[in-house]
Amino acid sequence: MRNLLDFLYKYHHWLVFIVLEVVSVVLLFQYNSYQGSVWFSSASAVAGKAYELESKMTAYLSMAKANEELTMRNIYQERQLDQLRRLYAEATKDTTDMERKGLEFLSQYQLIPAKVVENSIHKLENLITIDKGRKDGVEPDMGVACGNGVVGVVYLVSDHYAVVISALNAASSRISCAIRNRGYFGYLHWYGGDPSVAYVEDVPRHAKFKLGEWMVTSGFSSIFPSGVQVGKIEQAYNSSDGLSYKLKVRLSTDFGNVRDVVVISDKSIAERAALMQAARDSISFKQRQ
Amino acid sequence: MKIELVNRLVMFLSLLVVQVLILNHVHFLGVGTPLLYVYFAITFRRNFPKWLVLVSCFLLGLMVDTFSNTPGLASSVMTLAGLAQCYLMELIAPRDSAEDLEASMKTLGFSKFLTLSAIITTLYCMLFFALEAFNFFDVLMWLARSLVSSMLTLVLILAIESVRSR
Repeated sequence: MRNLLDFLYKYHHWLVFIVLEVVSVVLLFQYNSYQGSVWFSSASAVAGKAYELESKMTAYLSMAKANEELTMRNIYQERQLDQLRRLYAEATKDTTDMERKGLEFLSQYQLIPAKVVENSIHKLENLITIDKGRKDGVEPDMGVACGNGVVGVVYLVSDHYAVVISALNAASSRISCAIRNRGYFGYLHWYGGDPSVAYVEDVPRHAKFKLGEWMVTSGFSSIFPSGVQVGKIEQAYNSSDGLSYKLKVRLSTDFGNVRDVVVISDKSIAERAALMQAARDSISFKQRQ
Repeated sequence: MKIELVNRLVMFLSLLVVQVLILNHVHFLGVGTPLLYVYFAITFRRNFPKWLVLVSCFLLGLMVDTFSNTPGLASSVMTLAGLAQCYLMELIAPRDSAEDLEASMKTLGFSKFLTLSAIITTLYCMLFFALEAFNFFDVLMWLARSLVSSMLTLVLILAIESVRSR
Protein backbone atom coordinates (compact mmCIF):
# COMPACT_ATOMS: atom_id res chain seq x y z
CA MET A 1 0.00 0.00 0.00
CA ARG A 2 2.77 2.34 0.98
CA ASN A 3 4.62 1.54 -2.20
CA LEU A 4 1.48 2.29 -4.19
CA LEU A 5 1.09 5.66 -2.46
CA ASP A 6 4.75 6.47 -3.10
CA PHE A 7 4.32 5.51 -6.71
CA LEU A 8 1.24 7.70 -7.05
CA TYR A 9 3.02 10.59 -5.37
CA LYS A 10 6.00 10.32 -7.64
CA TYR A 11 4.02 10.06 -10.82
CA HIS A 12 0.94 12.09 -9.97
CA HIS A 13 1.56 14.40 -12.93
CA TRP A 14 0.94 11.47 -15.25
CA LEU A 15 -2.47 11.00 -13.64
CA VAL A 16 -3.21 14.70 -14.10
CA PHE A 17 -2.05 14.39 -17.70
CA ILE A 18 -4.33 11.44 -18.42
CA VAL A 19 -7.35 13.12 -16.80
CA LEU A 20 -6.84 16.35 -18.79
CA GLU A 21 -6.35 14.48 -22.05
CA VAL A 22 -9.52 12.47 -21.46
CA VAL A 23 -11.46 15.68 -20.81
CA SER A 24 -10.07 17.19 -24.04
CA VAL A 25 -10.85 14.16 -26.13
CA VAL A 26 -14.39 14.00 -24.75
CA LEU A 27 -14.85 17.68 -25.67
CA LEU A 28 -13.32 17.07 -29.08
CA PHE A 29 -15.71 14.29 -29.97
CA GLN A 30 -18.75 15.57 -28.13
CA TYR A 31 -18.75 18.69 -30.22
CA ASN A 32 -19.00 16.73 -33.44
CA SER A 33 -22.39 15.43 -32.39
CA TYR A 34 -25.06 17.89 -33.33
CA GLN A 35 -26.07 19.39 -30.01
CA GLY A 36 -22.66 20.41 -28.74
CA SER A 37 -22.13 22.55 -25.71
CA VAL A 38 -22.61 26.29 -25.99
CA TRP A 39 -20.22 26.86 -23.11
CA PHE A 40 -16.98 26.26 -24.94
CA SER A 41 -17.88 27.97 -28.17
CA SER A 42 -17.82 31.56 -29.34
CA ALA A 43 -21.54 31.72 -28.48
CA SER A 44 -20.65 31.83 -24.79
CA ALA A 45 -21.19 35.21 -23.17
CA VAL A 46 -17.54 36.15 -22.60
CA ALA A 47 -16.16 35.07 -25.96
CA GLY A 48 -19.15 36.60 -27.73
CA LYS A 49 -18.66 39.95 -26.01
CA ALA A 50 -14.94 40.02 -26.83
CA TYR A 51 -15.60 39.32 -30.49
CA GLU A 52 -18.37 41.89 -30.57
CA LEU A 53 -15.98 44.60 -29.38
CA GLU A 54 -13.35 43.56 -31.88
CA SER A 55 -15.79 43.48 -34.76
CA LYS A 56 -17.18 46.90 -33.84
CA MET A 57 -13.68 48.29 -34.13
CA THR A 58 -12.94 46.73 -37.50
CA ALA A 59 -16.42 47.29 -38.96
CA TYR A 60 -15.70 50.96 -39.62
CA LEU A 61 -12.78 50.10 -41.86
CA SER A 62 -14.86 48.04 -44.26
CA MET A 63 -17.94 50.25 -44.13
CA ALA A 64 -17.28 51.92 -47.47
CA LYS A 65 -17.01 48.66 -49.37
CA ALA A 66 -20.13 47.20 -47.77
CA ASN A 67 -22.02 50.37 -48.62
CA GLU A 68 -20.93 50.27 -52.22
CA GLU A 69 -21.97 46.64 -52.60
CA LEU A 70 -25.36 47.26 -51.04
CA THR A 71 -26.00 50.23 -53.28
CA MET A 72 -25.15 48.22 -56.38
CA ARG A 73 -27.37 45.41 -55.27
CA ASN A 74 -30.18 47.81 -54.46
CA ILE A 75 -30.05 49.38 -57.87
CA TYR A 76 -30.01 46.01 -59.54
CA GLN A 77 -33.01 44.82 -57.59
CA GLU A 78 -34.95 47.98 -58.13
CA ARG A 79 -34.49 47.57 -61.86
CA GLN A 80 -35.49 43.95 -61.68
CA LEU A 81 -38.56 44.78 -59.64
CA ASP A 82 -39.52 47.46 -62.07
CA GLN A 83 -39.16 45.12 -65.01
CA LEU A 84 -41.17 42.40 -63.36
CA ARG A 85 -43.88 44.80 -62.32
CA ARG A 86 -44.19 45.96 -65.88
CA LEU A 87 -44.36 42.44 -67.23
CA TYR A 88 -46.90 41.46 -64.62
CA ALA A 89 -49.05 44.49 -65.31
CA GLU A 90 -48.96 43.70 -69.01
CA ALA A 91 -50.01 40.14 -68.37
CA THR A 92 -52.81 40.76 -65.89
CA LYS A 93 -53.74 44.42 -66.44
CA ASP A 94 -53.78 44.72 -62.64
CA THR A 95 -51.16 46.76 -60.80
CA THR A 96 -52.42 46.55 -57.20
CA ASP A 97 -52.52 42.75 -57.10
CA MET A 98 -48.74 42.50 -57.39
CA GLU A 99 -48.05 44.67 -54.37
CA ARG A 100 -50.57 42.78 -52.28
CA LYS A 101 -48.94 39.46 -53.18
CA GLY A 102 -45.49 40.81 -52.41
CA LEU A 103 -46.56 41.83 -48.94
CA GLU A 104 -48.24 38.50 -48.33
CA PHE A 105 -45.06 36.68 -49.33
CA LEU A 106 -42.90 38.73 -46.98
CA SER A 107 -45.25 38.53 -44.01
CA GLN A 108 -44.68 34.79 -43.93
CA TYR A 109 -41.06 35.41 -43.01
CA GLN A 110 -39.65 37.32 -40.12
CA LEU A 111 -36.25 38.82 -40.85
CA ILE A 112 -33.95 39.35 -37.87
CA PRO A 113 -31.04 41.67 -38.72
CA ALA A 114 -27.74 40.66 -37.07
CA LYS A 115 -24.07 41.55 -37.17
CA VAL A 116 -21.26 39.06 -37.70
CA VAL A 117 -18.90 39.21 -34.73
CA GLU A 118 -16.59 36.36 -35.68
CA ASN A 119 -15.95 34.63 -38.97
CA SER A 120 -13.40 32.34 -40.58
CA ILE A 121 -12.85 31.16 -44.15
CA HIS A 122 -9.54 29.32 -44.07
CA LYS A 123 -10.52 26.17 -42.20
CA LEU A 124 -12.35 23.14 -43.52
CA GLU A 125 -15.16 23.62 -41.06
CA ASN A 126 -15.88 27.31 -40.93
CA LEU A 127 -18.29 28.78 -38.41
CA ILE A 128 -19.67 32.30 -38.04
CA THR A 129 -20.80 33.93 -34.79
CA ILE A 130 -23.58 36.54 -34.89
CA ASP A 131 -24.76 38.94 -32.20
CA LYS A 132 -28.38 37.79 -32.00
CA GLY A 133 -29.57 34.82 -29.95
CA ARG A 134 -32.55 33.08 -28.44
CA LYS A 135 -33.85 36.26 -26.80
CA ASP A 136 -34.02 37.90 -30.23
CA GLY A 137 -35.99 35.00 -31.68
CA VAL A 138 -33.10 33.08 -33.29
CA GLU A 139 -33.47 29.29 -33.19
CA PRO A 140 -31.27 26.47 -34.53
CA ASP A 141 -31.86 25.53 -38.20
CA MET A 142 -32.87 28.99 -39.33
CA GLY A 143 -31.32 30.27 -42.57
CA VAL A 144 -28.90 33.19 -42.60
CA ALA A 145 -28.41 35.42 -45.64
CA CYS A 146 -26.74 38.72 -46.44
CA GLY A 147 -27.38 41.34 -49.11
CA ASN A 148 -25.45 39.34 -51.69
CA GLY A 149 -26.72 35.82 -51.03
CA VAL A 150 -26.80 32.87 -48.65
CA VAL A 151 -24.45 32.72 -45.67
CA GLY A 152 -25.35 29.59 -43.71
CA VAL A 153 -27.59 27.88 -41.21
CA VAL A 154 -27.90 28.57 -37.46
CA TYR A 155 -26.36 25.75 -35.44
CA LEU A 156 -25.98 26.70 -31.77
CA VAL A 157 -27.89 29.39 -29.91
CA SER A 158 -27.18 31.05 -26.58
CA ASP A 159 -29.23 33.89 -25.10
CA HIS A 160 -27.52 36.69 -26.99
CA TYR A 161 -25.31 35.04 -29.60
CA ALA A 162 -25.58 32.29 -32.16
CA VAL A 163 -23.08 30.15 -34.09
CA VAL A 164 -23.87 29.69 -37.78
CA ILE A 165 -22.56 26.85 -39.96
CA SER A 166 -21.16 28.78 -42.89
CA ALA A 167 -21.86 27.56 -46.42
CA LEU A 168 -18.05 27.16 -46.42
CA ASN A 169 -18.20 24.19 -44.07
CA ALA A 170 -16.98 21.08 -45.85
CA ALA A 171 -18.32 18.70 -43.21
CA SER A 172 -21.78 19.95 -42.38
CA SER A 173 -23.13 22.41 -44.92
CA ARG A 174 -25.60 21.08 -47.51
CA ILE A 175 -27.87 23.82 -48.77
CA SER A 176 -30.52 22.76 -51.25
CA CYS A 177 -30.42 25.00 -54.31
CA ALA A 178 -31.89 25.17 -57.78
CA ILE A 179 -31.15 26.77 -61.15
CA ARG A 180 -33.13 30.02 -61.36
CA ASN A 181 -36.25 29.78 -63.57
CA ARG A 182 -35.45 26.18 -64.50
CA GLY A 183 -36.09 24.36 -61.26
CA TYR A 184 -33.49 21.58 -61.46
CA PHE A 185 -32.06 21.25 -58.00
CA GLY A 186 -29.02 19.88 -56.19
CA TYR A 187 -27.00 20.32 -53.01
CA LEU A 188 -24.38 22.98 -52.46
CA HIS A 189 -21.12 21.47 -51.25
CA TRP A 190 -17.79 23.13 -50.46
CA TYR A 191 -14.52 21.18 -50.43
CA GLY A 192 -12.16 23.65 -48.80
CA GLY A 193 -9.66 25.88 -50.54
CA ASP A 194 -10.97 28.85 -52.52
CA PRO A 195 -13.69 30.55 -50.44
CA SER A 196 -15.47 31.90 -53.52
CA VAL A 197 -16.05 28.58 -55.29
CA ALA A 198 -18.42 25.76 -54.31
CA TYR A 199 -20.03 22.84 -56.13
CA VAL A 200 -23.64 21.80 -56.65
CA GLU A 201 -24.02 18.05 -56.81
CA ASP A 202 -26.79 15.68 -57.92
CA VAL A 203 -28.10 17.88 -60.74
CA PRO A 204 -29.86 15.45 -63.13
CA ARG A 205 -28.28 14.65 -66.50
CA HIS A 206 -31.31 15.82 -68.44
CA ALA A 207 -31.22 19.29 -66.85
CA LYS A 208 -30.86 22.11 -69.37
CA PHE A 209 -28.95 25.21 -68.36
CA LYS A 210 -26.34 27.63 -69.59
CA LEU A 211 -23.07 28.59 -68.00
CA GLY A 212 -23.44 31.94 -66.29
CA GLU A 213 -26.97 31.26 -65.07
CA TRP A 214 -27.81 31.89 -61.43
CA MET A 215 -28.20 29.28 -58.72
CA VAL A 216 -30.75 30.21 -56.04
CA THR A 217 -32.04 28.38 -52.96
CA SER A 218 -34.72 25.87 -53.85
CA GLY A 219 -37.01 26.36 -50.86
CA PHE A 220 -37.28 22.57 -50.39
CA SER A 221 -35.19 22.39 -47.25
CA SER A 222 -37.58 24.59 -45.20
CA ILE A 223 -34.55 26.56 -44.01
CA PHE A 224 -34.37 29.15 -46.78
CA PRO A 225 -37.31 30.49 -48.75
CA SER A 226 -36.92 29.87 -52.47
CA GLY A 227 -35.06 32.42 -54.58
CA VAL A 228 -32.25 33.56 -52.28
CA GLN A 229 -29.19 34.07 -54.47
CA VAL A 230 -26.32 31.53 -54.19
CA GLY A 231 -23.99 32.14 -57.13
CA LYS A 232 -23.31 31.85 -60.85
CA ILE A 233 -22.66 28.57 -62.68
CA GLU A 234 -19.10 28.68 -63.93
CA GLN A 235 -18.47 25.18 -65.23
CA ALA A 236 -20.24 21.81 -65.43
CA TYR A 237 -18.58 18.46 -64.83
CA ASN A 238 -19.82 14.88 -64.85
CA SER A 239 -20.14 13.39 -61.39
CA SER A 240 -17.80 10.52 -60.53
CA ASP A 241 -20.53 7.92 -61.11
CA GLY A 242 -21.58 9.58 -64.38
CA LEU A 243 -25.23 9.73 -63.36
CA SER A 244 -25.50 13.44 -62.66
CA TYR A 245 -23.83 16.79 -63.23
CA LYS A 246 -21.58 18.56 -60.79
CA LEU A 247 -21.70 22.33 -61.25
CA LYS A 248 -18.90 24.66 -60.25
CA VAL A 249 -20.52 27.76 -58.77
CA ARG A 250 -18.92 31.14 -58.16
CA LEU A 251 -20.53 32.19 -54.87
CA SER A 252 -22.15 35.62 -54.82
CA THR A 253 -21.49 36.10 -51.11
CA ASP A 254 -18.03 37.42 -50.28
CA PHE A 255 -17.44 35.34 -47.15
CA GLY A 256 -14.26 37.17 -46.30
CA ASN A 257 -16.26 40.35 -45.87
CA VAL A 258 -19.69 39.58 -44.39
CA ARG A 259 -20.78 42.04 -41.71
CA ASP A 260 -24.52 42.56 -41.88
CA VAL A 261 -26.71 39.49 -42.19
CA VAL A 262 -30.37 38.61 -41.66
CA VAL A 263 -31.68 35.51 -39.95
CA ILE A 264 -34.72 34.24 -41.82
CA SER A 265 -37.35 32.90 -39.51
CA ASP A 266 -40.13 31.08 -41.31
CA LYS A 267 -43.28 30.64 -39.27
CA SER A 268 -44.41 27.72 -41.40
CA ILE A 269 -41.23 25.72 -40.72
CA ALA A 270 -42.53 24.18 -37.53
CA GLU A 271 -45.68 23.10 -39.33
CA ARG A 272 -43.72 21.62 -42.23
CA ALA A 273 -41.28 19.88 -39.90
CA ALA A 274 -44.18 18.37 -37.95
CA LEU A 275 -45.78 17.15 -41.17
CA MET A 276 -42.50 15.64 -42.35
CA GLN A 277 -42.04 13.90 -38.99
CA ALA A 278 -45.60 12.53 -39.15
CA ALA A 279 -44.93 11.19 -42.64
CA ARG A 280 -41.70 9.55 -41.53
CA ASP A 281 -43.40 8.00 -38.52
CA SER A 282 -46.20 6.55 -40.60
CA ILE A 283 -43.74 5.09 -43.13
CA SER A 284 -41.63 3.46 -40.44
CA PHE A 285 -44.82 2.19 -38.77
CA LYS A 286 -45.94 0.56 -42.03
CA GLN A 287 -42.51 -0.98 -42.56
CA ARG A 288 -42.62 -2.53 -39.13
CA GLN A 289 -45.98 -4.14 -39.77
CA MET B 1 6.95 32.05 -6.12
CA LYS B 2 4.13 34.59 -5.89
CA ILE B 3 5.76 36.96 -8.35
CA GLU B 4 6.37 34.02 -10.64
CA LEU B 5 2.69 33.06 -10.56
CA VAL B 6 1.64 36.64 -11.33
CA ASN B 7 4.12 36.70 -14.22
CA ARG B 8 2.68 33.46 -15.54
CA LEU B 9 -0.86 34.83 -15.29
CA VAL B 10 0.06 38.00 -17.18
CA MET B 11 1.72 35.91 -19.86
CA PHE B 12 -1.32 33.61 -20.02
CA LEU B 13 -3.71 36.51 -20.59
CA SER B 14 -1.56 38.45 -23.03
CA LEU B 15 -0.83 35.37 -25.17
CA LEU B 16 -4.54 34.55 -25.20
CA VAL B 17 -5.52 38.06 -26.30
CA VAL B 18 -2.81 38.25 -28.97
CA GLN B 19 -3.69 34.82 -30.33
CA VAL B 20 -7.43 35.36 -30.44
CA LEU B 21 -7.58 38.92 -31.69
CA ILE B 22 -4.61 39.05 -34.04
CA LEU B 23 -2.86 35.78 -34.88
CA ASN B 24 -6.00 33.73 -35.54
CA HIS B 25 -6.69 36.08 -38.44
CA VAL B 26 -3.29 35.56 -40.02
CA HIS B 27 -3.24 33.03 -42.87
CA PHE B 28 0.17 33.23 -44.42
CA LEU B 29 -0.02 31.93 -48.03
CA GLY B 30 -3.42 30.53 -47.10
CA VAL B 31 -1.86 27.77 -44.98
CA GLY B 32 0.12 29.17 -42.06
CA THR B 33 -1.36 30.45 -38.81
CA PRO B 34 1.12 31.29 -36.04
CA LEU B 35 0.15 29.44 -32.86
CA LEU B 36 2.12 31.67 -30.51
CA TYR B 37 0.40 30.50 -27.30
CA VAL B 38 2.64 27.43 -27.35
CA TYR B 39 5.32 29.87 -26.09
CA PHE B 40 3.53 29.63 -22.74
CA ALA B 41 4.36 25.91 -22.52
CA ILE B 42 7.98 26.39 -23.62
CA THR B 43 9.00 28.91 -20.97
CA PHE B 44 8.30 27.00 -17.74
CA ARG B 45 11.35 26.90 -15.48
CA ARG B 46 13.00 23.67 -14.44
CA ASN B 47 11.21 21.85 -11.58
CA PHE B 48 8.09 23.98 -11.78
CA PRO B 49 5.33 21.77 -10.23
CA LYS B 50 4.41 19.44 -13.09
CA TRP B 51 0.72 19.29 -12.30
CA LEU B 52 0.56 23.09 -12.45
CA VAL B 53 2.31 23.10 -15.83
CA LEU B 54 -0.23 20.61 -17.16
CA VAL B 55 -3.31 22.32 -15.71
CA SER B 56 -2.32 25.81 -16.83
CA CYS B 57 -1.41 24.61 -20.34
CA PHE B 58 -4.73 22.80 -20.51
CA LEU B 59 -6.62 25.93 -19.44
CA LEU B 60 -4.85 28.16 -21.97
CA GLY B 61 -5.66 25.62 -24.70
CA LEU B 62 -9.28 25.49 -23.57
CA MET B 63 -9.58 29.28 -23.66
CA VAL B 64 -8.13 29.44 -27.17
CA ASP B 65 -10.54 26.65 -28.16
CA THR B 66 -13.49 28.54 -26.76
CA PHE B 67 -12.69 31.50 -28.94
CA SER B 68 -12.08 29.51 -32.11
CA ASN B 69 -14.91 26.96 -31.78
CA THR B 70 -12.66 23.93 -31.58
CA PRO B 71 -13.29 22.54 -28.06
CA GLY B 72 -10.71 19.98 -26.99
CA LEU B 73 -8.36 20.56 -29.92
CA ALA B 74 -5.84 23.07 -28.56
CA SER B 75 -6.36 21.91 -24.96
CA SER B 76 -5.38 18.30 -25.69
CA VAL B 77 -2.27 19.24 -27.66
CA MET B 78 -1.27 21.98 -25.21
CA THR B 79 -1.41 19.50 -22.30
CA LEU B 80 0.89 17.21 -24.24
CA ALA B 81 3.22 20.12 -25.04
CA GLY B 82 3.40 20.96 -21.32
CA LEU B 83 4.37 17.40 -20.46
CA ALA B 84 6.93 17.26 -23.25
CA GLN B 85 8.48 20.51 -22.00
CA CYS B 86 9.03 19.13 -18.48
CA TYR B 87 11.07 16.20 -19.82
CA LEU B 88 12.83 18.08 -22.63
CA MET B 89 13.99 20.69 -20.14
CA GLU B 90 15.65 17.92 -18.09
CA LEU B 91 17.40 16.61 -21.20
CA ILE B 92 18.51 19.96 -22.56
CA ALA B 93 19.53 21.85 -19.40
CA PRO B 94 23.24 21.50 -18.55
CA ARG B 95 23.75 19.02 -15.71
CA ASP B 96 25.48 21.47 -13.38
CA SER B 97 22.87 24.20 -13.85
CA ALA B 98 20.58 25.56 -11.16
CA GLU B 99 17.59 23.50 -10.04
CA ASP B 100 15.21 26.28 -11.00
CA LEU B 101 16.84 27.15 -14.31
CA GLU B 102 14.67 29.45 -16.42
CA ALA B 103 13.82 28.34 -19.95
CA SER B 104 14.95 31.40 -21.87
CA MET B 105 17.48 32.34 -24.49
CA LYS B 106 19.50 34.22 -21.87
CA THR B 107 20.00 31.23 -19.56
CA LEU B 108 20.12 28.37 -22.06
CA GLY B 109 21.93 30.09 -24.91
CA PHE B 110 20.68 30.45 -28.46
CA SER B 111 21.22 26.92 -29.77
CA LYS B 112 19.75 25.09 -26.79
CA PHE B 113 16.75 27.37 -26.61
CA LEU B 114 16.23 26.98 -30.36
CA THR B 115 16.32 23.17 -30.02
CA LEU B 116 13.82 23.22 -27.17
CA SER B 117 11.36 25.56 -28.86
CA ALA B 118 11.74 23.99 -32.31
CA ILE B 119 10.94 20.50 -30.99
CA ILE B 120 7.91 21.63 -29.00
CA THR B 121 6.56 23.96 -31.70
CA THR B 122 6.89 21.43 -34.50
CA LEU B 123 5.36 18.66 -32.39
CA TYR B 124 2.56 21.00 -31.42
CA CYS B 125 1.74 22.17 -34.95
CA MET B 126 1.87 18.68 -36.45
CA LEU B 127 -0.47 17.21 -33.85
CA PHE B 128 -2.74 20.26 -33.91
CA PHE B 129 -3.33 20.17 -37.65
CA ALA B 130 -3.56 16.37 -37.72
CA LEU B 131 -6.36 16.48 -35.15
CA GLU B 132 -8.02 19.44 -36.85
CA ALA B 133 -8.18 17.62 -40.19
CA PHE B 134 -9.37 14.44 -38.51
CA ASN B 135 -12.15 13.77 -41.00
CA PHE B 136 -10.44 14.80 -44.22
CA PHE B 137 -6.86 13.73 -43.95
CA ASP B 138 -4.75 15.14 -46.76
CA VAL B 139 -1.04 14.49 -46.15
CA LEU B 140 0.38 17.27 -48.33
CA MET B 141 -1.97 19.90 -46.94
CA TRP B 142 -1.21 18.72 -43.41
CA LEU B 143 2.55 18.92 -43.93
CA ALA B 144 2.27 22.34 -45.55
CA ARG B 145 0.09 23.74 -42.78
CA SER B 146 2.14 22.33 -39.92
CA LEU B 147 5.51 23.29 -41.40
CA VAL B 148 4.57 26.83 -42.39
CA SER B 149 2.76 27.40 -39.09
CA SER B 150 5.63 26.09 -36.99
CA MET B 151 8.13 28.24 -38.91
CA LEU B 152 6.00 31.34 -38.31
CA THR B 153 5.52 30.49 -34.64
CA LEU B 154 9.22 29.85 -34.17
CA VAL B 155 10.18 33.15 -35.77
CA LEU B 156 7.79 34.99 -33.45
CA ILE B 157 9.09 33.13 -30.38
CA LEU B 158 12.72 33.91 -31.24
CA ALA B 159 11.85 37.55 -31.87
CA ILE B 160 10.15 37.87 -28.48
CA GLU B 161 12.97 36.03 -26.71
CA SER B 162 15.68 38.19 -28.24
CA VAL B 163 13.86 41.30 -27.03
CA ARG B 164 13.35 39.81 -23.56
CA SER B 165 16.90 38.60 -23.13
CA ARG B 166 18.37 42.07 -23.59
